[in-house]
Amino acid sequence: MNKNFQEMFAKAKQEKRGSLIGFATGMDPNYKTSKKILIEMSKHCGAVEVGIPFNTSTSDSSTIMDANMRAIKAGANTEKIFKLIKEVKSKIKNNVPFLIMTYMNPVYRYSIKKFAKKCKTSNVDGLIIVDSNNNSPEDKELSKELKKINVAYVKLVAPTNNEAFIKETLKKCSSWIYVVSYAGLTGSKQVNLGNVKKISKLIRKNSKIPIGVGFGIRTKSDVSKVIKIADATIVGSGIVDIVGKNAKNHNLTKKIGSYLKNLKKGLNK
Amino acid sequence: MKIPPFKEINPPKNGYWINPKTKETYGGQYISPLLIPNLQKVEKCFEKAIKDKKFMRELEEKLLTFIGVNTPLLRSKELEEIAGGQKKVGKIYLKRTDLHHDSSHKPVNSFSSCYMAKHIFKAKKIICETGASMHSRSVAAACAMLEMDCEVHIGAVDAEKVSLNKDISELYGAKIVVVHESTKSLLPAMASALRSWQSNPDAMYVVGSVAGPSPYPRMVRTWASVIGRIAKQQFKQITGKVPSTLFCVCGGGSNLMSMAYPLLKDKTEIFAVESAGEGIPTGRHGATILGGSKMGILLGFKSKVVMKSAQIAESLTEASGLDFAAVGPEVAYLHDIRRIKFRSTTDMEAKKTFLMCCEKLGIVPAIEACYVINAALKEIKKRKNPRENHLIHLCGSGESNVNRMIKFKRENE
Repeated sequence: MNKNFQEMFAKAKQEKRGSLIGFATGMDPNYKTSKKILIEMSKHCGAVEVGIPFNTSTSDSSTIMDANMRAIKAGANTEKIFKLIKEVKSKIKNNVPFLIMTYMNPVYRYSIKKFAKKCKTSNVDGLIIVDSNNNSPEDKELSKELKKINVAYVKLVAPTNNEAFIKETLKKCSSWIYVVSYAGLTGSKQVNLGNVKKISKLIRKNSKIPIGVGFGIRTKSDVSKVIKIADATIVGSGIVDIVGKNAKNHNLTKKIGSYLKNLKKGLNK
Repeated sequence: MKIPPFKEINPPKNGYWINPKTKETYGGQYISPLLIPNLQKVEKCFEKAIKDKKFMRELEEKLLTFIGVNTPLLRSKELEEIAGGQKKVGKIYLKRTDLHHDSSHKPVNSFSSCYMAKHIFKAKKIICETGASMHSRSVAAACAMLEMDCEVHIGAVDAEKVSLNKDISELYGAKIVVVHESTKSLLPAMASALRSWQSNPDAMYVVGSVAGPSPYPRMVRTWASVIGRIAKQQFKQITGKVPSTLFCVCGGGSNLMSMAYPLLKDKTEIFAVESAGEGIPTGRHGATILGGSKMGILLGFKSKVVMKSAQIAESLTEASGLDFAAVGPEVAYLHDIRRIKFRSTTDMEAKKTFLMCCEKLGIVPAIEACYVINAALKEIKKRKNPRENHLIHLCGSGESNVNRMIKFKRENE
C-alpha cells in the first residue's frame, strides 16, 4: 500500500472516523485559482483527487464536463497538472495523499512509462483511470509500472459488476477500491446505500482493502450514512459546482473550505 | 432473392485487430466498469443472433421487404463521360443505397441491431447518437415498427444542419436530446449517448458507425455488410468479375465497411474518401487518416484519432455524417496493413459534385456521397484503364441537404 494512504486510513481508524476524499478538476478555472483550491482542500480532506481534463469523457455529468472545458480553455494539459500537484504538495505541511483521476487517452498519449515516472517525481500518490479495462494491454503495463514505484492504482467497481469481476479488479487494485454507488454519471443522482452495502459485502468477502464510495455524495448526511459502511467517501460534483458558480469570486476558497468543514462533521463512525 | 451469407474473414482477437508486423492493437473496450456487463450481454446476444437460423431468416426477410436492401447497381455512362469516356477509363457503376427505406446505408445496421435488441437482448428502449441523423432516422423507424422507445443524441450544430432527418426521427416517435457540449457534433453526441446508457443499463445502445467499445465495431460491420454482399453478387452477375476498384466515403467507416468487408480477400482495390473540409493544410477538415491522426483512445475504442495534445480535436466539414475525428478500429487496421487506400475531397468540390449529380444524373445524393464521387472521378481519370470496372457507393439521398445546397446554387449562379 502507498505509505501516505496507509497513514491516512490508519489515522482515521485510530480516531474512529472515516476519510473524506475531495475531487476537483486540475486548472479549473485556471492554474492560479486551482492551486489555491487544492491547498484549501488539503486542509480539510484526508486525500485530494485531481482531475486531468478530457474533452470526450464518457462518465461525467455536465458539472464535471463544464469544469473540464473551463480547464482546457485555461490551457490545461497533463504536464501542467503534474506541475500543479508538485507545487501544491511542496506548499502543504502534511502528508495528504494526492491522486490523479483521468481517462486512458491522456495517459496513453503521454506514454504510460513516462506517466508513471512523472507520478513519482511529482509526488502523486495514486491514480484512477475511469475507462481503463482490466484486460487491456495499456492497463497491464500501467499496473506493472505503478507497482514498481508504489503509486496506488485505485480501480472502480459498480453496482452492475458481479463477484467474478470484483475479484479480478481486486487483483489489480492497490491502496483502496472505489465503489460507484449507482448506475449513472458523477453527481447525477442521490447516493444508493443499498448498492453500496451489496458491493461492500462482496469486496469484504474477498479482501481487506479499504473501500471508498463515490457518486451522489453531497451533504453531511450523505457522508455520515456512507461512512457507516465504508472507509472513505469521495465528494466531487459538490466541490466542482462551487468552483463553477464562483469562478471569479474572491471568497471561492473560503466557500470550499466551509463546505468541506461541514462535510467532515459526518465522518464519525 | 436470398442475401449471400456472412463469412467472418477478418476476425478480431479478444476485441482487437492486431497488425502482425508492428503488433499495434486496434479496438478494445475502454469504458467504465459500469458498462462492462452490458457490453458482455450485447456480445453474447450478437453471437447468439448470427447463429440462430430462424432469427436470421426473419431478419433478412425484414431487410428485404422493410428496408429494401436489394437496391440496383446503376451503370453511369454520364460519370464515364465526365471521367473521359468508357473507352479510356472503363465502366462505372453506382450502388444505389440511397434507394433504401429512410434513404441511406444506415438502416441495415440500425434495423438489425434493433431487431436483435428486441428479440434477443430483450430491451425496451434504444439509445443512439447521430450525426447526419440518417442513423437516428433509421433507428427511430425500427423502434416504431418494433414498438420500442428510442432516445436520440444529436449535436446542436447537426440538429440545425439536418433538421429534416431530425424531424422525421421525431415523427417516428424518438425522444431527441440535443447536445451542446464540446464541438456540438457527432463526437460529443456519441459520448452523451454512452453516458445516458450508464444511467439506463437495461436499454440497448445502437451505434451508427463501426466504432465504440468491442463488440460494436465488429457487430456493426457484420450487420452492414449485407449491402456489400449483395453488391458483390450483383457486380459478378453483371460483369462476371469482382470490381477492379471500390470507392466509399469514410467518416467513422460504417459506409466503407458495409461495402468493403466482403471484398477484403478479393483483388479489388479499395479507396476510402475523407472530407478535406476547407483543405487539409488549413487544419479545418474532417480527414482522420490523411489529416495527421495519431493512435488514441476515445469512446471506448483505440484507433487513429485527430488530437490536439491529448484532447480530441474538432473535425470541420460540410457533411455532418463525416464530422468525426476518428475512424473505426478495423478501418485504421486495414489502412495500417495497406489493404485500404485513402483519398480526400474538399467541401467545395463536394458541393459542386452535388449540383453536378442533380443536373447530369438526375439524382439528389447525400452530400457525403459527393465526396466519394468526386474523388472516384479523379482517381479513375488518373488510372486511364479501359479494362477496369469501377464501383462507387452512392450511400444516401440528399433531401436533408437541399436547404443548404439550393442556397449554394443560387449564391454561385
